[in-house]
Amino acid sequence: VLTRCGDDLFSITTESPRDAQSLARQLRAFGDWLDVIPGIDSVVLQFDAAMLDGDDVRQKIESVLAAGIEPLEISQSLVEIPVVYGGEYGPDLSALCKATGMSADAVIALHTGREYTVDMVGFTPGFAFIGGLDERLHVPRRKEPRQRVEAGSVGIADGRSGLYAMASPGGWTLIGRTPYKLFDPHAEPPFVLGAGMRVRFKAISAGEFNG
Amino acid sequence: MTITVIKPGLQSTIQSRPRVGLRHQGVPASGAADPLSLALANRLLGNVWDAPALEVTLLGPKLRFESECAFAITGAVGVVTLNGDEIQMHQSWMASAGDELAIGAAEVGARMYIAVSGGFAADNILGSSSTNLQAGFGGLQGRALLTGDVLRCESVVVGSARTPDEYRLPMSSSWAVRTCAASETHLLDEDSRDHLFNTNWVVARRADRMGVRLEGSKLTVSSDGRMPSAGVIPGTIQCPEDGSPYVLSIDSGTVGGYPRIAQVARVDRHVLGQLRPGDHVRLLQREPDDAVAELRGKLAYWREWLPDIDEVL
Repeated sequence: VLTRCGDDLFSITTESPRDAQSLARQLRAFGDWLDVIPGIDSVVLQFDAAMLDGDDVRQKIESVLAAGIEPLEISQSLVEIPVVYGGEYGPDLSALCKATGMSADAVIALHTGREYTVDMVGFTPGFAFIGGLDERLHVPRRKEPRQRVEAGSVGIADGRSGLYAMASPGGWTLIGRTPYKLFDPHAEPPFVLGAGMRVRFKAISAGEFNG
Repeated sequence: MTITVIKPGLQSTIQSRPRVGLRHQGVPASGAADPLSLALANRLLGNVWDAPALEVTLLGPKLRFESECAFAITGAVGVVTLNGDEIQMHQSWMASAGDELAIGAAEVGARMYIAVSGGFAADNILGSSSTNLQAGFGGLQGRALLTGDVLRCESVVVGSARTPDEYRLPMSSSWAVRTCAASETHLLDEDSRDHLFNTNWVVARRADRMGVRLEGSKLTVSSDGRMPSAGVIPGTIQCPEDGSPYVLSIDSGTVGGYPRIAQVARVDRHVLGQLRPGDHVRLLQREPDDAVAELRGKLAYWREWLPDIDEVL
């Protein structure tokens, strides 16, 4: 579904996060847009309304859609993300254990026990939404978001893991934290993770985190 | 040449152009919350429109020029003094070494812009010198000014200039903002849709570079109020669970999980930077193509004084 959602915006709904990422790349390759923002099940495109007419932009988007959304390229390499689970690093782990009836070790085994794919990056610089969480770990977002979540925090919510690349407010259930610097504005490239990348979490000790 | 910060003001940051084309990596726009006032200040000094300048919020800083420097101030209405004598905004001034510039409280509007000839030295990160306060990069070490900071700028000799009266941006405590329907406007029930455009909204205390909360009516959406994270831009109006519309501003996140009930049209997005707590706001309903026509009309008007206006708004 293609809708005009502002004087300089179009929104396209998609079947999946992967389709959203793939469509966003196709759109970017096909025109000079201000921003093309893939979401979980949509793409928002901002165009320069001073230069372009909405109807022409709509036609361009329609022609991309008519050609079909290509499958998203999944990277071959696997990024391993070390995580200290629980304690001060994952302040919600014990509450999660209570809610799910699982031990901390069982939760950690589930979370580290499979490979994931990055669904999208967004919200704050480098924040990664990582899909494919085991159903036993599906919890909603917290009712009261925290004012501050530390950089590197690993949260879960709505069937996804979320990696806080920088400190920010946040409403995800925090189970651990990685020492990896996921966003460094002075580095090239500044982002460690991007959509379509394969990741796996690895449990480490607090000593390894600080060492 | 240098300028010493004697008092930093409430929140003073170095701002330039927004970051564009990086929202899919989570990088917000940043930049002047009122880019038109930024461009007007730089215009008076012969700078490019986006030369890094100081954006000051509600209560301005006190600065000491350590050597000769041309400067200009635009934006919100307030009392500005140089060595204790009141000076006019919207014109260029020449400061001598040792001169002290004091920016008082903004009386109408929220943000003033202090430009210096040649622009302030600033960290250029991801295509812009603008400060991103949340992530802590750009501008001056990614943060707001602190007492004792030393700002650097190039000193360029410029002729004196004044903004023509017809190009001084009117400040007000009562604003009209043109908006279009957005992706989840249809989720508003009928009463709420009426309220959205008929309420004389009041800007809440929560009004900053992230966004502006509007109070006056409670809106209800026909869903659980949450949706899968989807793209937003400055000017997107969300309806959070408490029913008070939240207008995203220049520093907002790049995706959001609340229904997007309206979108401030590009023609009026610069107004968001001047909304202050207690101001009144009416949202005007526009069809997208009508809002584009109004944008092009506004650009045509401003182009004579600001040749780069297409990049500003």
